[in-house]
Amino acid sequence: MGGFSKDDAASILAERRYQAIADILETAVTKSEGKWTYTDILDHVFLHRWLGIPIFLSLFWAVFAFTFSLAEPFMVMIEILFGWLGGVFGAGISNPHLASFVAGGIFDGLGSVLVFVPPIFMLFLALSILEDSGYLSRAAFVMDRLMYRLGLHGRSFIPMMMGFGCNIPAIMATRSIDGEKDRMITILVNPLISCGARLPVYVLIAGALFGAEHAGTVIFSIYLLGIALAIIMALIFRRTLFRGEPSPFVLELPAYSVPTAKAAIVHMWARGRLFLARAGTIIFGTVLVVWFLSAHPWGATGGGELIENSYIASLGHSLQPIFSPFGWDWMAAVALLFGLLAKEVVVGTYGILLGVEEGALGESLVSLGLFTPLTGFAFMAFVLIYVPCVATIGVIARETNSYRWAAFAMAYLVVLAFLVSGLIIGIGRLLGFS
Amino acid sequence: MMDFSIKTGKRLAIYASGLGVISLAVGLVEILGGWGEVIPGDLFGGFVLVVMAATYLFGVKGTLRGQHDGLSFVIGGLFLTAVFGVLYLLMMGADGLMYLLGEAEALPKFSDARPEIWIFILSLPLAQRVRSLTARMTW
Repeated sequence: MGGFSKDDAASILAERRYQAIADILETAVTKSEGKWTYTDILDHVFLHRWLGIPIFLSLFWAVFAFTFSLAEPFMVMIEILFGWLGGVFGAGISNPHLASFVAGGIFDGLGSVLVFVPPIFMLFLALSILEDSGYLSRAAFVMDRLMYRLGLHGRSFIPMMMGFGCNIPAIMATRSIDGEKDRMITILVNPLISCGARLPVYVLIAGALFGAEHAGTVIFSIYLLGIALAIIMALIFRRTLFRGEPSPFVLELPAYSVPTAKAAIVHMWARGRLFLARAGTIIFGTVLVVWFLSAHPWGATGGGELIENSYIASLGHSLQPIFSPFGWDWMAAVALLFGLLAKEVVVGTYGILLGVEEGALGESLVSLGLFTPLTGFAFMAFVLIYVPCVATIGVIARETNSYRWAAFAMAYLVVLAFLVSGLIIGIGRLLGFS
Repeated sequence: MMDFSIKTGKRLAIYASGLGVISLAVGLVEILGGWGEVIPGDLFGGFVLVVMAATYLFGVKGTLRGQHDGLSFVIGGLFLTAVFGVLYLLMMGADGLMYLLGEAEALPKFSDARPEIWIFILSLPLAQRVRSLTARMTW
């Protein structure tokens, strides 16, 4: 065995296994000449050398157009519900601290996050339909050609796709990758795949700055940016930290099937309820801290009315110089800081700081001039790239069995976030955008 | 080898190439910024139409020869047409819901429908014919 590497042995074993399967099928199955199945027909097109990747991009664009456009009326319904609840509860509370907490913390803070339940559930529904139809494994196969050419491993694409839901199970799924180097690369780039928690930020900013007509396309471009950066960083890691050839990729493609509504809804719920659980725990807890810091010192802020005198404003102003070259104010600095705990908190923080109802949040961002389309796009890119949530960092430490790799991931993501956002702002200004 | 008659293949190929040419033309107009109220400017929407057109046109040669090899691209094109036709119909439904919630000024009119919806409607006779050709096919 001296002449074989581990990778060669794996590919020889896979080849022999498939040869054995083909031999058995030849003796056991009688297949009429020229008989095609729907799976043959669809694979002929979806796995096509030239059409495969454009079709993949088209279907993924459809996922985001579906997510944004169809969620809008449901978001309005939740806004109406929270507006009504705010009126009912706000009027009946005499204690000023409690009234401020209910209005600012619960309805403006947590409410502004819960409004984004519909797009998150819509995204998971669309991904479930693609998964149940058997297309997602084809997408991995199609991307493998491109990824292998770039020196990456095709199997890496499956955890990357899972990352669209949540980076935590996606990083855990890298255990299925045989080569240690391939696995490390996949873990390190996975946070660049935009998880569902980042979607509320995109929906808020893109909806406010680019209008309903173009928001889906802008959000799609942010997702594409994440995929492109993941591929570029993987390539850099392959050429520097983890040199060598990727191990062979063997993937069993299931037959296509028509997804059932019941299965798609069950899968959507299984993924979406994680968001609800986060809303009730870490998001609620963080929003509570943000509300406290924005309403205190109680006397100086006039019961949370003069936010410029609050603790959070002092914190924001001390961080603002780091972000002012991007055109972001102290509120963005604070939102990004608390977003380290969970990305949805970025939206909740704006809800508390601006003190407006969920429906008016986007309008306020525009009317107060907090973002232009250029600075807003750069902000979305920053949210995409900079440190994922603390839970993801914890999983990176656990899966790599090293806090050093987790610290490395945090460091390179922060540097990359500043670099990419800076490039967006720089190039945008050169092109004449404000 | 022929999988269905040349005559059937010719009809399917002509219809598919018609859909392909229309999709390509509309897609390019969408990419280049649109044409009045009829065709909106939409970069990614236009890209999707060009992909759809390419899928139809890839299958024309094989379908003319009566081969499943060509028919598969026609089916792929029909699948994409259906996905995006239904998607834009759902979007119109969402716009209608927004009107009922008081968030839109008027109910969406069918004359405002995206070209992808009209292409989807145009593709239905072809889909019906292809369905009858592949009725005995299994998954």
